[in-house]
Amino acid sequence: MGLIREPKNVDFTVKSTPWTEEELRDFRILMNELKSKKLLRTKVFIRQRTTRSRKKVAA
Amino acid sequence: MKKRRQKGLDFVIDKLTNSIENTATGEVFDTEVVQLRNTDLKQIHKADWQFDWTKEIKDKTKEVYKLTTANNPTIIQGLISIEDKQDHIFMHLIESAKFNKNKDKVYLGVPGNLVAFACKVSVDKGYQGFLAFDAKTALIKHYQDTLFATHFRGLRMFIETNAALQLISQYFKS
Repeated sequence: MGLIREPKNVDFTVKSTPWTEEELRDFRILMNELKSKKLLRTKVFIRQRTTRSRKKVAA
Repeated sequence: MKKRRQKGLDFVIDKLTNSIENTATGEVFDTEVVQLRNTDLKQIHKADWQFDWTKEIKDKTKEVYKLTTANNPTIIQGLISIEDKQDHIFMHLIESAKFNKNKDKVYLGVPGNLVAFACKVSVDKGYQGFLAFDAKTALIKHYQDTLFATHFRGLRMFIETNAALQLISQYFKS
């Protein structure tokens, strides 16, 4: 476990303004792409592990 | 980290344990993140805060959480206001207590701790850690470096899955 030590002269303060419909739409497109890629990588990883396990059992 | 389980697969996060560091001694203190509700309004002294946290707590679309040290749950180290956008978490406000601001800040790690918590909420809700927020222009690079955040456009930024998992693993004991 580690800490993110912000510099002493930096104050991390966020005040967000509402995102526009267009911004939210574009963000969701990008987010869904990234989520799909992540899901695809996870599925491939699981498939590889399953195949390896089956090969081990067969051997 | 403590989770209160409900029926089925759903669960409510009522308390999480992690840590912040005393700037003078380097001592690390365990912390807790607890939700503030309407009944907790008296815990907020308006003069101590830059933002109107009472308004945030009263807003039913938002959830406000306080960060305290585990051994002193009455002193608020920082606050965060988040909203469940159904496919990601949106961070409306985040603020450190006034004694955790400027060069004389007492503790380091308060905002990072709260952002990691928001990422954990996103993961727990099945949003794969996605967290969106606005940054001040001068801090965009800082957030990219420290929070592994991605610059979307203008002041808009977001934290994606890998960055969220990295932050969570940095802050939360497994």
